[in-house]
Amino acid sequence: MNKQDLSAMVAEILRELHPEPMVKGSEYKPSNPGPEQKDEQYHDGDFVPDVTQLNLRKLYLVEQGENEDAYRKMKEKTPARLGSGRAGPRYKTLTMLRFRADHAAAQDAVFSQVREEFAGENGLVEVKTRCKDKEEYLTRPDYGRSFDEENQQKIRKAVTGTPKVQIVVGDGLSSAAIQANAMDCLAAITDGLKARGISLGQSLFVRYCRVGAGDAVGDVTGCELVCVLVGERPGLVTDKSMSAYITYQPRTGVSESARTVVSNIHAQGTPAVEAGAYIAELIEKIRKNKGSGVGLHLEEKG
Amino acid sequence: MGESLLSVGLDVGTTTTQMVVSRLEIGNRAGSFTVPEYVISQRQVIYKSPVYFTPLIGEELVDGEKIKALVAREYERAGISREQVDTGAVIITGETSRRENAEAVTRALSEYAGDFVVATAGPDLESVLAARGAGAVEYSRQTGKRVLHIDIGGGTSNIALIEDGVITATGCVNVGGRLLRWDERGCICYISPVAQRLCDASLGRPFDGRILAKTLVKALEMAAGLRPADALLEQVRTKGTSMKIPEGEWVISFSGGVADCIEKSMEKDAFGDLGPALGQEIKNSLLCRGRYRLGQQTIRATVIGAGCYSAQLSGSTVFFRNIDFPLKNLPVVQAGEEDLGQRLSTLDGDGILFFSGAEPSYKQVKSLAERIVKAAEGKRIYVAVDKDMAKALGQAIALMAGEDAAVLCIDGVGLKAGDYLDVTAPVGTALPVIVKTLIFETGG
Repeated sequence: MNKQDLSAMVAEILRELHPEPMVKGSEYKPSNPGPEQKDEQYHDGDFVPDVTQLNLRKLYLVEQGENEDAYRKMKEKTPARLGSGRAGPRYKTLTMLRFRADHAAAQDAVFSQVREEFAGENGLVEVKTRCKDKEEYLTRPDYGRSFDEENQQKIRKAVTGTPKVQIVVGDGLSSAAIQANAMDCLAAITDGLKARGISLGQSLFVRYCRVGAGDAVGDVTGCELVCVLVGERPGLVTDKSMSAYITYQPRTGVSESARTVVSNIHAQGTPAVEAGAYIAELIEKIRKNKGSGVGLHLEEKG
Repeated sequence: MGESLLSVGLDVGTTTTQMVVSRLEIGNRAGSFTVPEYVISQRQVIYKSPVYFTPLIGEELVDGEKIKALVAREYERAGISREQVDTGAVIITGETSRRENAEAVTRALSEYAGDFVVATAGPDLESVLAARGAGAVEYSRQTGKRVLHIDIGGGTSNIALIEDGVITATGCVNVGGRLLRWDERGCICYISPVAQRLCDASLGRPFDGRILAKTLVKALEMAAGLRPADALLEQVRTKGTSMKIPEGEWVISFSGGVADCIEKSMEKDAFGDLGPALGQEIKNSLLCRGRYRLGQQTIRATVIGAGCYSAQLSGSTVFFRNIDFPLKNLPVVQAGEEDLGQRLSTLDGDGILFFSGAEPSYKQVKSLAERIVKAAEGKRIYVAVDKDMAKALGQAIALMAGEDAAVLCIDGVGLKAGDYLDVTAPVGTALPVIVKTLIFETGG
């Protein structure tokens, strides 16, 4: 069978599958041609528009929607990527570019470092967990929860006496979150505790920090309660979200259920300043209750 | 969470007086691992009084003593005691809403003062309450439709424009079912001043109400923007109100006693008033030409609005110290970043400062606190802010003002100059508040 025979046979089979006359390619007219395509002219050296500058809550790409106003109202209430329209079965180019840009920002946040001057500028004492760099931090969570002898010494020297409350600022998985929120939040906590007459140790900045590093700080300082402000795993909505993990009697090996957490501290969630004031009150409640975590909530309900 | 507020609504209208008792359930909308967010999650009417004729002395004065007896009896029938009531609203509405009447009712109910935090309602607030109580606001929110709600009572028709579940304008005209009344012989026994101006009915003589009803409905059509306005609209417009209806399509929605006469055909003299004639005319008017609906509540819309919708919750992170709840009638002083100094100087101990500004850093919070404390000169400090920062600001103020200073700082409530605010004891971590003379909502 030569090539010509083969294609004749394929055509025959296709005809049997489609008894109706097939539309030739040239005759195809899409029922919905979509908006007119503008040919944007870019020249060498121009910058293309920055897709990350678009406000996603206002970006509405659905063509010929039933009720655009109502859809836009809904969009204002959620950071989810709604109303992104489609090109055939796929995303539009803009949607895809933005998605990849946000994803890249999330990855960058994990790998970026908190500036070296950060601790010094903000009156924090900087220490480092056992991790030697970011790569090791990501692959060895256990190293991110403990300190070598040298750093333990540093903590001992910085935190004098036995404070009731110790605050630890840790980079965690998002340096951007810490740089954006930690100091505003810490200032509000500090004032809140001062107003309640609760003593506070010298606040620390821990590089390559996991939440459990707070327990190690508890081992060294003997503090009654530790509050770790740590960068959350970045997502596609924001790379600047911070959490506060509060642990009563923090010691290495304490159960995760013994922590009380306040998450989503960022400009679109709970603002850092307000979260700080709330955390100060929470700390007072936990000290009265002599326990944090699951026990605290049970007691509140009871 | 399981917390709730018991709320009483009392509506003393031109024609009828009603009371409802409702339970407002408070729920925490936030997840377990974030800052709590308390909201009124459910509004349930647990008791409705019968619809009473408003006890009057003569033609226009409300009989305060009889109102008091009525409330006492209805509390008993509802099975509630005064101690259980957390919040509530008395509204004196329509033609009855005159100073002497407001004073009479306030005086008569003084021993219930702890229960009720609102004493009078202007026509604008009444429009807001009726639109909410009739379910028109909820209907608009759910469907995204633009709704024009008209509550047609005995003396007035209260109008509210609702767009996407938010009331954007209110108005009031003196159109109601009791502007003319007949005795059992069919002779006129009451003519309101408005009716007197619009028709030549005279006391003790028979009169065909349909003539007046036609005129009144024409005025309603003008108020609803369905007919070009002329001098007639100005004649019936309630003093001190104004309203412009924007272009576009509106679903018209009705409540009030007269709304019951629109769909059902009633005997013309069923109540000895204009109600059935008005209902009939409305049915045949431009108002019912397009899409229209009757409210979920008709004659009870306003009282249910008062009982269920007058209280709202502040944000869930607020600050208060040395405050004796409830606080009543705090006049609102509004300030922004630019005129803060100037506004602070006008504030006396009982005013509440409403500050709107940008999302602050903690340094800015502290500097704001410092300015407020300095201006307060040791007086009580009541502050409301539009951004989510009340707890931080309140805490900073308290730190500077000292242990004994009375400090209240709330957010999550939209206020403007001219409003008055009532604040009652906290539920969850939020404070129930009632914003009075509130005409336009801020959403939510």
